Amino acid sequence: MTDTTAQTGNGRPKGYRSTRYEGLLPFAILAIAGVALPLFDDSYIGLIATRACIYWILVAGLNLVVGFAGQIAIGWVALLTLGAYTTSVLTAGAAMPALPPYLALLIAAVAGAAFGVIVGLPALRLRTFYFAMTTLGFATIVTQVALAWKSVTGGGIGVAGPVFPSPFEPGWGFYYLCFGLAAVATWMTANIAASRFGRSLVAIRDAEVAAEASGIAKPLLLVTVFMFSGALAGIAGGLFASLQTYITPDAFTFDLSILFFIAILIGGRGSIIGPLLGTIILTVLPEFAAPLVAWSTFLYAALLLAIVLAMPGGIADLLDFKNRRPLERHREVVPRPEMLAHLLRGEGSILSLANVVLSFGGVRAIDGLDLDVRPGEVHGLIGPNGSGKTTTLNVISGYYAPQSGSVRLGDAVLPPGAARARASHRIARTFQTPRVIGGASVLDNVKIGGTIDGHGGFIEAMLTLPRHRRDETALRERALLALSAVGLESLADVRADRLQHSELRFVEIARALMLSPSILLLDEPAAGLSAEEIRRLGALIKSISRAGTSVLLVEHHADLIFDICDRVTVLNLGKVLAAGTPDEIRSHREVVSAYLGA
Amino acid sequence: MPTSAREPLLEVKDLAAGYGKIGVLHGVQLSVGAGEAVALLGPNGAGKTTLLRAISGLLPRTGQIHFAGKDMSSAGPRDAVSAGLVHVVEGHRVFTQLTVFDNLLLAGYGLPRAARAQQVEEALAFFPEIAEKRRNLAVTLSGGQQQMLAVAQGLVRRPRLLMLDEPSAGLSPVLVDRVLLAAAKLREAGTAILLVEQLIEKALATADRVYALARGTIVLEARTDEADLPNRLEQAYFGQGAHAPLQS
Amino acid sequence: MLESIVSYGLAVGAVYALIGITYNVMFTASRVFSFTAGMLGMLGGVLGALFIDQMGLPVIVGLVATLACGAVIGVVTEIVTVRPVLKSLEQHLYVLSTLAFALLVQQFTAIEWGTEARPFPRLFKIGAGFLDQQFWLPLLACAVTVIGLELLYRRTLIGRAFLAISEDNYAARALGLPEQWLRIASFMLAGMIGTLAGFSGGELLLAFFGNQSILNFYGFVPVALGGMGSNRGALIGGLALGVFQQTANFLVGGVFAAVAVFAVFIVVLLLRPEGLAGALGARRV
Repeated sequence: MTDTTAQTGNGRPKGYRSTRYEGLLPFAILAIAGVALPLFDDSYIGLIATRACIYWILVAGLNLVVGFAGQIAIGWVALLTLGAYTTSVLTAGAAMPALPPYLALLIAAVAGAAFGVIVGLPALRLRTFYFAMTTLGFATIVTQVALAWKSVTGGGIGVAGPVFPSPFEPGWGFYYLCFGLAAVATWMTANIAASRFGRSLVAIRDAEVAAEASGIAKPLLLVTVFMFSGALAGIAGGLFASLQTYITPDAFTFDLSILFFIAILIGGRGSIIGPLLGTIILTVLPEFAAPLVAWSTFLYAALLLAIVLAMPGGIADLLDFKNRRPLERHREVVPRPEMLAHLLRGEGSILSLANVVLSFGGVRAIDGLDLDVRPGEVHGLIGPNGSGKTTTLNVISGYYAPQSGSVRLGDAVLPPGAARARASHRIARTFQTPRVIGGASVLDNVKIGGTIDGHGGFIEAMLTLPRHRRDETALRERALLALSAVGLESLADVRADRLQHSELRFVEIARALMLSPSILLLDEPAAGLSAEEIRRLGALIKSISRAGTSVLLVEHHADLIFDICDRVTVLNLGKVLAAGTPDEIRSHREVVSAYLGA
Repeated sequence: MPTSAREPLLEVKDLAAGYGKIGVLHGVQLSVGAGEAVALLGPNGAGKTTLLRAISGLLPRTGQIHFAGKDMSSAGPRDAVSAGLVHVVEGHRVFTQLTVFDNLLLAGYGLPRAARAQQVEEALAFFPEIAEKRRNLAVTLSGGQQQMLAVAQGLVRRPRLLMLDEPSAGLSPVLVDRVLLAAAKLREAGTAILLVEQLIEKALATADRVYALARGTIVLEARTDEADLPNRLEQAYFGQGAHAPLQS
Repeated sequence: MLESIVSYGLAVGAVYALIGITYNVMFTASRVFSFTAGMLGMLGGVLGALFIDQMGLPVIVGLVATLACGAVIGVVTEIVTVRPVLKSLEQHLYVLSTLAFALLVQQFTAIEWGTEARPFPRLFKIGAGFLDQQFWLPLLACAVTVIGLELLYRRTLIGRAFLAISEDNYAARALGLPEQWLRIASFMLAGMIGTLAGFSGGELLLAFFGNQSILNFYGFVPVALGGMGSNRGALIGGLALGVFQQTANFLVGGVFAAVAVFAVFIVVLLLRPEGLAGALGARRV
């Protein structure tokens, strides 16, 4: 049995390793290859490479939407079309005086950003499939408008693309422009991916409820990402028009949309290098054998089907050598409560529920509930099935709005039904079934808990400005601290879905501790744990409460409740049946009856 | 009564099951004899519903399950029903958009048409109250009537062992008695019953033997006529070190 | 012009309605939104032209062969793209697997059949003008399908089993219903309805690989507006859509008609994401 908290001599927990430089290697190789490409002096290769760079600029942005946010945006070619026509029309000088191509490109970026928001907005309201359909509809509409609006777009005849002046003239000069912009796009999206914005996107995708509890605001984040992605697509469109030298509506086929979309999925969600390689492969593949060109979309679709069925993680999974290393078989979670002092602040307020009533349809799930949790106490909440325990937690954490009654933390009234706001009140919780992001590392999962403490904005993250870097360093230190408190720091870089169920429960607690909560809500944390693990969990909870954080513990395990709780409230049929010390409750006649049924 | 073969009708050994990574049952031993009524008690979260689902094949599981001499360890609900092992699930889930009669017909899916019609009538005979509503949509039935319909569905296949998951949940005491009376009648007619119940007194009144399940294993097995049963059950529920004197 | 709008609108609307019903049948069996509905419609037209025009088969034989192919493709869809991903917790995967499969078939058709729209054979020598068979064949197919489905769900045990599976999959399994087989049967049925839609609308829409994308979207609109799983909603929505589209076509011309349809679609969806029927009616198949 291995104690996962063993340390090396210099105080760094064993097993934690920096993988920052491992990840940079593929990018470095591509960068060198890209810069050296003109040495081949083959204009055909140059053409393909330029096209790959242009596609990647679009895909890099779309990756955040599809790969990170998990939105099925299939019709993104609409934005490429928009960018292409905008730049072409502005530089052609037909409808108005010609603008320089760089300015036109910038305007295309702005137009792309605006249109990206329009295309993306339905995602906030619609289910996955419905949203996918609307993006398809947009793509069709844009092509049709391009065809019909002859005065501006030239209709079926088309319009000439922009020509960039030296040093980025057509040929290798233009290639360097595209390559440079592609490198910038890679850098920016990689920065976002590694920031709290990237982690939040993945959290929204895979663990939306937990994301809300951590204070992550989905609408604002999605709109930001759509805007950024649209801007990149607009720029890609302008460059595309230049590459084609002349564009007509049928250059923007549904096939292109599919290519972009599939490149991301082949590459693997939540990765930058994966979709990058995917884009290169899909651009280059049809060129290798002439017959393949006609069958290219067929091949893409076949690849997609194969990936979905056999390897949903895509290329990124293949490259994830780190997570192939076997883990110790008999791991034990040994918390280190002494680390809690660094994490928790020790200022508590009283949590009080007054006369809360919550009905679903005609049924009163909570029927006039009064509850007080004093600062620094461990308060147990027990009761038979259907008594309203988890529902009560959901009201406190803001997922349900009660019909009447109030929930207060200290003097502040907690607004009903506002789950996202709870994090700023320093209310943290865990869930009945662990809600973690399987594809992310344990450390990234825990970092989610500290999202609201970040100060740097989206643009600062995109450009890794100093304030953002300070945020990230502090967050990382804090997350490692939280992991050592629960005893899991040696698993920090492991993919969360490789962990045992009991370890995931402790990961959730570590995530909750990131908020330095004044009250911690635990929803059946002992379910599925062995007797020894329950004992350690109990000790951890007691230490958390001694550090000043109140704990409200919903549990079925009578032993745990009676062992560590300072006070216990028993619910039955949505009302308080009894409240008092564990000893009082244990001998309470009615409580026993309610549990055993009468 | 044939007594030469004392092999139980249902025999469960080392049963383990859970949901995804969460293990709920950790090695359960259980048996039910032909014509016996057995009650399965336990606190919430113990795994009673999980146990029934594991036996009937609704959940993947490891371990051994033998029913009527057949190895059912990897059988699904369809095979279980054909063999005579019927599971009436929790929550009186009937198909609300279909009539009472249609609900029962579906329970007989797979039977030859004549046998199906006859067995549906037999099942209805057990519950005259819903027999007269046979053409009504199930959504118009009260909770108690829906529960009776759910049990009737279980009867259509003439089960040798009927597993009932908390048939009293959400019902008024009068209806609870009615449902348990039907269970008692079935037992008299030779059907074995495995009954999961929250209401201990009622369950003990209906059953011959009782198991208590806590934290995923069987912690108590006894005949219902044994002494001091309620006390022993409490101890089993609340675990070692806890004691709850039940003196008034 | 009114007669033209009505006859053409109702006819093409009937095709949309049938595609919508195809979506519904697949959805109620498996809770899966499948991208293959438009594909089936497209194949109905292409296969019909292939069997009757190219291979010279009699009309009835061609129809039966087309429906048989639809049934087979439906079953293949279930086995290859739906069943493997149903077990997975990642909800998005079936959207991708059905999309990939639909694309495969579309590209294959484009390569083998060609990318030009080819004419669909004239099936019978009946009707002319606004009562021409190209207008009432889709309506006839629609009526037959709707009535057939009603009979199936009300009068046959297997139909009621479909309803049971769709209402409460867990209880149906516990009862011993052969859930997997029923799902395959549903996809088979959906395959036949989809190809019937394309076959009956062949003269209107021609045998064209590009019909897949058109039908995917326009067949989805009635479902989105009428509520996923509601065949009544799909029927009304499809017919209304067809007439609306033709009216818009006549008033403002092709492109803006498409924009108009799309705009209405988006606006309605954003206001009522569950469709117009919404939470009102119970989920009827």
